[in-house]
Amino acid sequence: MTPLEILIAAIEGSPAPRIPIFCNLLDQGVRLFDLSPEQYYASGQHVAEAQLLHLKKYGHDNVWSLHYVGKEAELLGCQKILFAEDGVPNVEDLVIKTLDDIAKFEIPNDITQHPAWESIATCMKILQREVGATHPICAYVTASTTLPAILMGMDQWLELFLLGPYDLRDELIRKCSDFVRQHLNALRTLGANVIIYSTPFGSPYFLNKTQIIRDVLPWMKRDLEGGCCEDLVYYCGMAPFNNVIDLIFDELKVNKHYISPLADLTEAKHLINTRGLSCGVIDDIKMIHWSEAETRAEVKRIIEIGKPGGHFLFGTGVMPLSIPETNIRAMLAAAFEYGSWT
Amino acid sequence: MREIKMLETYIQDYNEAVFETDKITALAVVNKALESGITPEDIVFKLIIPAVEIMMERIEKDPDSNLAQHFMTAQIAAEVTERMLEKFAIPPTVIGKVIIGAAHGDLHSLGKRIVIGCLKSLMVEVIDLGINVSAEKFVDTAVTEQAQVIAISAMMVHTATGESGSLKVRALLKERGLEEQIKIAVGGAPYRFDPELYLKVGANGWAPDGVTAAKIIVQLINEVKP
Repeated sequence: MTPLEILIAAIEGSPAPRIPIFCNLLDQGVRLFDLSPEQYYASGQHVAEAQLLHLKKYGHDNVWSLHYVGKEAELLGCQKILFAEDGVPNVEDLVIKTLDDIAKFEIPNDITQHPAWESIATCMKILQREVGATHPICAYVTASTTLPAILMGMDQWLELFLLGPYDLRDELIRKCSDFVRQHLNALRTLGANVIIYSTPFGSPYFLNKTQIIRDVLPWMKRDLEGGCCEDLVYYCGMAPFNNVIDLIFDELKVNKHYISPLADLTEAKHLINTRGLSCGVIDDIKMIHWSEAETRAEVKRIIEIGKPGGHFLFGTGVMPLSIPETNIRAMLAAAFEYGSWT
Repeated sequence: MREIKMLETYIQDYNEAVFETDKITALAVVNKALESGITPEDIVFKLIIPAVEIMMERIEKDPDSNLAQHFMTAQIAAEVTERMLEKFAIPPTVIGKVIIGAAHGDLHSLGKRIVIGCLKSLMVEVIDLGINVSAEKFVDTAVTEQAQVIAISAMMVHTATGESGSLKVRALLKERGLEEQIKIAVGGAPYRFDPELYLKVGANGWAPDGVTAAKIIVQLINEVKP
């Protein structure tokens, strides 16, 4: 079976040789070329080629259209990204500097015509050509209630979100929601078939359930045009969200959940059961200092919780650049070993 | 006796409002306390500080407390304290001084804003160096200002664990023989995922959220102060 067929089998609960094993090694790609991070990320070809090389080297199941989260801010007018030699790029220029900027803030008519889209399109075309028929191609979309955090800074956004002026807050979310809808369409058109819908404000770690239902859920529905989206994975930026899993099933009809390493996976698996796909995620920040044996033991623990009954995927979180390569190999070897059905 | 009972009720009402992230009600409780004759000094020392301390305990014990509650705890406490300080007959004694900022390469400011709000309400003087702060600036400012604690916020793994962040601050303190006089506190998302990470980056303490970070920082101040 191809990785794409293995993923479909896990979603449907049908027989497969093993569980799907997802891994993101985006930042690790920089080191495969003699380039600065800025030069590397500017080229969709490099981002695609690095992933194909990693796929050959490690044998995991998926690739990514994502370059870095700040790309969305660039598509919305961000002029400067702070690149780091040892980690992820960071939004340096805030698009919305004062509340007055919200009225002037405009979503591009067609983000695929934006210069920042070019490298994503190039990357996707290569991935689609090379592995589109066999491997899931993941994309990342930030929800409308979270997107303002990378446009104006999290503290300014949380203040506006909680304290208002609420008409201004809603105007900004509405514009962001328009962007999300356009972004989803553009990524699907390019061939993305697993969309990570990143919605930290949809996590009880950020807001209480009442606030989520009142202030976030309607916007998530708007982002997703109210309908069920078979390719969507609910993800809260590594924050736990077990308390809203039922709500997401009922209200958004999203049935694939990327469970935080900080959440109780046993509880999450029980809640999701065979209704959808549970994704057990390793705490890859601990992998920086773990031994290979500790890494293996954690993979075993996660898969032993999630695998029984099927409908389970093993995945990674942020995969920091400082994780030793031996631990990446140990993690994937253990995932293939313990994730096998044969 | 009656005043103590009244204050307890105000603390409870205030904290319930903060826990519900209801700023309007929280400020109304403070105004009601003022109108009932409680002095601005007592508002701060007998209402706000105990309320923040209770909130610290509550947030520490409650795994379901959320970021909105942490933010509002700090935001409201800082705002009320600032308003009350203007009305104080004699300026209050500060309990210590902290230098705070986001680590080199880190542009996130929410965490430190929560910490600053709580610290100010606890009568800790805070010097905010902003974001993307070099290790040299942290240490030089701590020396000039005679601060007891350097608090470093890092929201990304490389800014938490990299050579230019807390590790370098530790190295500079060691090089200058300042490790007994100045303590390091760290906080931010990576530390929540690896609770032992603070030791690996040479810090003396950490906290999983901004509100309990203020408690840890006050403890570190007390360790240093004669």
